[in-house]
Amino acid sequence: MINKKLIKDLLNESACSHNKDKKSSCDKPKPGATSGGCAFEGAQISLFPYADAAHLVHGPDTCLGASWETRATLTSYEGENNTPLGYCTNVTTQDIIFGGDKKLAEAIAYIVEHKKPKAVFVYETCVTAMIGDNIDFTCKEARKRFGIPIVPVHSPGFVGGKNLGSRLAGEAVLDALVGTREPKEIHPFGINLIGDYNVTGDMWQYTPILERIGIKVVATLSGDGRIEAVQTAHTAKLNVIVCAKSLITLCRKMQERYNIPYVSVSFYGKRDTSNAIRSIVNAFGDEAMSKRAEKIILEEEAKLEERLLPYREILKDKKAILNTGGNKSWSIASALQDIGIEVVATSIRKATEEDIAIAKTYVPILMKVPANEQAKLIDEHNIDILLAGGRSLYTALKKKVAFVDVNQEKKVSYGAYGGLENLAIDVCAALANPVFKLAGKVAPWEN
Amino acid sequence: MGELKVMKPLHVNPLKLSQPMGATLAFLGIKNCMPLMHGAQGCASFTKVVFTRHFNDPITIQTTAVNDITAVIDGGEKGISEAIANITQKVTPELVGLFTTGLTETKGDDIKGACALLKEKQKIVYVHTPDFEGGLESGWALSVQGIIEQLIEPSVECNKDKVLLIPNVNLSAIEVEKIKESLELFDFEVYALPDLSDSLDGHLGVKQGALSSGGISVEAIKKLGDTGHVITVGRSVKKCGELFKAKHTQSQHHHFDTLTGLVACDDFYKTLLTCKGWSKPPASIQRWRKRLQDTLLDTHFALGKAKVIIADEPDNAYAMAKALREVGAHVEAIIAQRSEVQELFTCNVSVGDFEEVEKILPKMDMLISNFHGERLAHTYHKALLLRGFPNYESVGVGLRHNILYEGSCTFLCEVNNRLHKN
Repeated sequence: MINKKLIKDLLNESACSHNKDKKSSCDKPKPGATSGGCAFEGAQISLFPYADAAHLVHGPDTCLGASWETRATLTSYEGENNTPLGYCTNVTTQDIIFGGDKKLAEAIAYIVEHKKPKAVFVYETCVTAMIGDNIDFTCKEARKRFGIPIVPVHSPGFVGGKNLGSRLAGEAVLDALVGTREPKEIHPFGINLIGDYNVTGDMWQYTPILERIGIKVVATLSGDGRIEAVQTAHTAKLNVIVCAKSLITLCRKMQERYNIPYVSVSFYGKRDTSNAIRSIVNAFGDEAMSKRAEKIILEEEAKLEERLLPYREILKDKKAILNTGGNKSWSIASALQDIGIEVVATSIRKATEEDIAIAKTYVPILMKVPANEQAKLIDEHNIDILLAGGRSLYTALKKKVAFVDVNQEKKVSYGAYGGLENLAIDVCAALANPVFKLAGKVAPWEN
Repeated sequence: MGELKVMKPLHVNPLKLSQPMGATLAFLGIKNCMPLMHGAQGCASFTKVVFTRHFNDPITIQTTAVNDITAVIDGGEKGISEAIANITQKVTPELVGLFTTGLTETKGDDIKGACALLKEKQKIVYVHTPDFEGGLESGWALSVQGIIEQLIEPSVECNKDKVLLIPNVNLSAIEVEKIKESLELFDFEVYALPDLSDSLDGHLGVKQGALSSGGISVEAIKKLGDTGHVITVGRSVKKCGELFKAKHTQSQHHHFDTLTGLVACDDFYKTLLTCKGWSKPPASIQRWRKRLQDTLLDTHFALGKAKVIIADEPDNAYAMAKALREVGAHVEAIIAQRSEVQELFTCNVSVGDFEEVEKILPKMDMLISNFHGERLAHTYHKALLLRGFPNYESVGVGLRHNILYEGSCTFLCEVNNRLHKN
């Protein structure tokens, strides 16, 4: 069942700073003026990276048919990797009339029998919520029968946007998995990584560094995640939220239930990566570890600077405008500054109050309506490169400046120290590419 | 041949795409149109993402953003009228294509009534496309039927030189353009409905519009009533032609299940010659036929021994299977949804998912499917040809040309060369 009270609580999260005045990102969507994904998509993004669990979508084929195998969330799991696989009960007219519970039970049995996963997540969708399938009961029965966690996720698309779905996924994990297993030993410096989904291997850019410092990743939600690990997440000493405010409720509840404090960090760019490592280390207050961390940060920064040398020359004095959403409005700005680019303006159209406050500390001009402002700013400030979503490509062509699509599914990681070199490579490639001046060239028969 | 029915309580790695997605594409083939999906915001968002990545171009779509409260208390009118009000505040669409989803069909919204109430404010075509029935092909076809029923004005005239081409959803932008060009060589005035050939053909527009960027105009659609010949390509749109013929009885309906391969193209051009009373087609078409004859012989060595599994929408699978059978290939097909075309296959065919594909693949040499097949082809070291929706791995999907004599040559050569490379 959809839990209305829970949804209301999640939307009023006390740990969200913007809730003191307004509920900007959590409003109901407006018909005819809405873009962005639904709650189901948010849940899917948050949980699909558990490669050792099967993810069964209980609904018609659309929800999954259009969305499986789309995110490059890498895993090191050696068994059958469920991340790029799609399971769907394919609810049809018959099921809508007679109910889909039996089909769901059979589908769970099929998966357990054929795929032997460590757990099964069952996602409720709009249609199965409407017809009132008793998913909780079916999951409970299946759990008894098969002896593995069968976790219902109540995030049908129509309850809200991606952000809410991600919160609901966090609740499902908290209720059904966290604290259901005790580890062999408890590490004194164990952390949970919350909100990094290891897209293009972002997480692996910094987890080896944390390990060298002496920090152990107990569990993740959910990049390169494992079910058995997240069952022991309550034994970690610190929750680390990586660029994902949607899971703040989960962290607050874990603090209340298990006394685990949390820190919020970003691993984009050199300064933020170093600061992230310091935030984590400081939370433990261990002097020897702090010293070790500073030494490693120094080493890593020096190594990075050496690798960035060839690009520095090209990027020197280059000016950029950034037009993207959410925390990217400042995290990518920070990374660009770290490779020597002057970021003149950034868009805050889709940023939360919190993001705007942070963006202010990085970038002088904040654009509220970038579609109207960016073309003018390109002229006024002699901009060399526009980093934005595909819709802004035309502006770049018209103004004959280089363009990087920052919203497209990225193929390489921009995370942490190692990823910064990838960002430098991509920006340099765009700056050197003649295509942006050529593609918009006026035809010889037109004036 | 017989259908191998797959009985499973679930889809594992689905092949099927939904009816609302097919409807979206149909309405994108109409100029200055806003496809409006009546469902939760995610239905439209997923669709937008899939097609944006597939076509590498911006996709216009809006949603009525049904939420858990309006799902219960609104019969559809409120959400739909609000959506229209919000859309028309920013843009002026010549048409809104309104189509349902599983959510709004389960709650049983009266979209016809909702549209009647908005008649004065906005021209709307409505279609019922629940995603728990049919698939991409039927969503497209139902939309075309809706447009024929609701937009085309009756006419007493019948222009024997005017052709209405109704392509199936699988035909690429260039393929639609090539059929139009071919018909123009026969001195026909040609309209395609829907027409993706100047909408989603990957052209660079002056600016990015908030509505569909090309396609057949609403004015042209209204005046289709005097069309002398309606040509349907693909079994999924056969009913559209029949509907048109039933409403405009003076017209003639010519149906072709496929336009790939020698036999299919011969049938097509024979029909055109009969319509025109000509004895021979234009020289360029004769020349391309000879090239195809030669290609059939050139490729039969490799393809005659090749074992190919096709996983795609029914009409596309049928077209490719038929062409490959002409050069002796052994073909098996898994199709995304049930279709009348199943009876026509001369090879094994079943409705299924990628789990079924994986069971057959080890015995085959090559897989033809959408990009989800890439992982499988890699795992089993098989040759791969990317066809169908979605394809995130290739660029230029709108430029693909695999029909008529010319495109059949390209298709057979590409299959041959891929196979050879593996």
